[in-house]
Amino acid sequence: MTTRTRRSILAGTPAALGLAGLILSACGGDAGESAAPAAPATGGAPKGAPVKIGASVSTTGSNGKTGQYQVEAYQLWAEQLNARGGLLGRQVEMVILDDQSDPTVGTKLYEKLINEDKVDLVLGPYSSGVTQAVSTVTEKYKYPMLSAGASASDIWKRNYKYVFGVYSVAESYFYGVIDLAKKNGLKTIAIITEDTAFAKATAAGTAEYARKEGFRIVFQEQYPTKVTDLSSLITKLKAAKPEVLVGGSYQPDSVLITRQAKELDLNVKMLAFSVGAAMPEFGEGLGKDADFIFGPSMWEPSLKTKGNSEFEASYKKKWNREPDYHSATGFAGGQILEAAVLKAKSLDREKIREALSTLEIETVLPGKYKVDDTGIQLSHIPVVIQWQGKDKPVIGPDAMATAKPKFPMPEWKSR
Amino acid sequence: MQVVVSGLPLGDVHARLAGGLTLIFGVMRVINLAHGEFLMLGAYASFFLFVLIGLNPILSLLISMPLMFGVGWIAQRLLISRVVRAPLLTSLLLTYGVSLALTGGAQATFTNDFRSVPFLSGALNIGELAFSVPRLVACVTALVLTGAAQFFLARTRWGKALRATAQSADVALACGIDIDRARMIAFGIATALAGAAGTLTRFLYTVYPEMGKTFMLKAFAVMVLGAMGSFPGAFLGAIVLGVIESTASYVTTAQIAEAVVYITLLAMLLLRPQGFFVLKEA
Repeated sequence: MTTRTRRSILAGTPAALGLAGLILSACGGDAGESAAPAAPATGGAPKGAPVKIGASVSTTGSNGKTGQYQVEAYQLWAEQLNARGGLLGRQVEMVILDDQSDPTVGTKLYEKLINEDKVDLVLGPYSSGVTQAVSTVTEKYKYPMLSAGASASDIWKRNYKYVFGVYSVAESYFYGVIDLAKKNGLKTIAIITEDTAFAKATAAGTAEYARKEGFRIVFQEQYPTKVTDLSSLITKLKAAKPEVLVGGSYQPDSVLITRQAKELDLNVKMLAFSVGAAMPEFGEGLGKDADFIFGPSMWEPSLKTKGNSEFEASYKKKWNREPDYHSATGFAGGQILEAAVLKAKSLDREKIREALSTLEIETVLPGKYKVDDTGIQLSHIPVVIQWQGKDKPVIGPDAMATAKPKFPMPEWKSR
Repeated sequence: MQVVVSGLPLGDVHARLAGGLTLIFGVMRVINLAHGEFLMLGAYASFFLFVLIGLNPILSLLISMPLMFGVGWIAQRLLISRVVRAPLLTSLLLTYGVSLALTGGAQATFTNDFRSVPFLSGALNIGELAFSVPRLVACVTALVLTGAAQFFLARTRWGKALRATAQSADVALACGIDIDRARMIAFGIATALAGAAGTLTRFLYTVYPEMGKTFMLKAFAVMVLGAMGSFPGAFLGAIVLGVIESTASYVTTAQIAEAVVYITLLAMLLLRPQGFFVLKEA
């Protein structure tokens, strides 16, 4: 009796596990739709039907947390635009869907926005992976799209004519950090990154720039997403003895790397992370261990850019929380679209595309909006932040700095 | 050597999960795809106890484990009990549904924010070797819990009832064992163990609604590598896998290490499908 039972367990298991894997990997069927209409019209006499602007942004799934900032910014922009009288005298209605952080779902939703919801214009999704997939759809239907939540330069390497960058490409995220390292006479660098589109682009750009600036790359490796242990990687890093360590990474892996670097006593003079370090949750998760860590930021509330303090105040009032830089890039996307429509003086998408490719304006982001022939963003200036106590002041570039960088990072044992 | 030392506690979280999975599978022939979500709930319980009343994460086990035991008990009573005798696919679909519902519910309730708090950092140095303090603490706590669970199964009345139900539900029933209750206890214990794993995990990782899936696939691998229905087997399986992964990651890269783990799993299924331990037939 027992023998039979046990054999039947064993026979069932591999098949069952395979099935389990299939189910797990098949997750992400149809998207939940959460159409969020913009605030009702206030002031201004709407003429005719509202202008429909569509976007799908990840508000669930692995990027849900960050995508939410972008959605809030889109809605804030639309509300303020309507209060100003809308676009060309017509009110604006936002149609915002959720792609669950899945590029395939994203493409379906943009097809839906364009063919079923018949939106007049679109704004971009969040994350490089989704934007890259979605831009094939918007290109097909000739809808100009501002990439308000993506920056991997691959998006602009396909000779597409209808996708425009809002902020610096991923490749340039660490330029400011490397400049700072060079100024302090450092010579060796190690680069570790997650194996996703954005992080790989960051790593490639960083490596190229570092080499150009005379650095020796002593270690470079990728790790899988959702990694839960990096102690082997850190052990190898210790042997490579880099002076600068940069990680192209999000919040969970940035925190993990820092914790394990402390455990294994890996000491570097400068430590920087790409997306992770600029998020408030990074400091919350690490406490004083976050001190001295650098990170690039596309926007900070302290910057004196055009309309920035008004943006921050109205955002806080509407959403009851501090905006993140992803809020600012989303808001800037709206500002740029508005300027392009005004310049084109119509909703004709060809004319708007034309306007977007020649436009040069200031937004809440540092620097300017101005793209080259391929649509890539060249005039936005990323800033560098550093964790100092509970704050993360801007420490570079010099013109925008609100504090001096603390350098070098002390050894873990003497902290 | 440092690499091996780092790999040992790595297997530990997976051991907790695989232990629970094994228990459920043994007693009910149900593969619980929602197990990772129970881990996530345990992690949130401990996180909120820490943030709201400042409770020490290890002490919070005293609250989170009974809480999760209750969750498991209810889940078994309301849902799983209906599919115990159904084909395997039915229970897979049901538990997958539970997993999605819990993830979605957590996203709605706790938001997608990444949550973590600094607690126990740094390392204990013995000679040249560095032992991560949070991992060490998690590992020791886990050993105690495994010991307790093993003791419960081997020595107590209900433990024996559980094992009897695992061997043959019909015979157990004929002997006067309340198998429904035995199953609820089994599911409750497994869920409490997952909750404990979540609590211990929180020392090391960030808490977010989708964290459960990160650990689940490897827990399945561990379950196969150890023996089905054997606690020590799951533990050994987890440690072996941890050391293999950390060594492979050191020799090659973290990406290849991931593949090595699953190749080991495949090889194991082909060559020694009974796992490391062969259970003595009763």
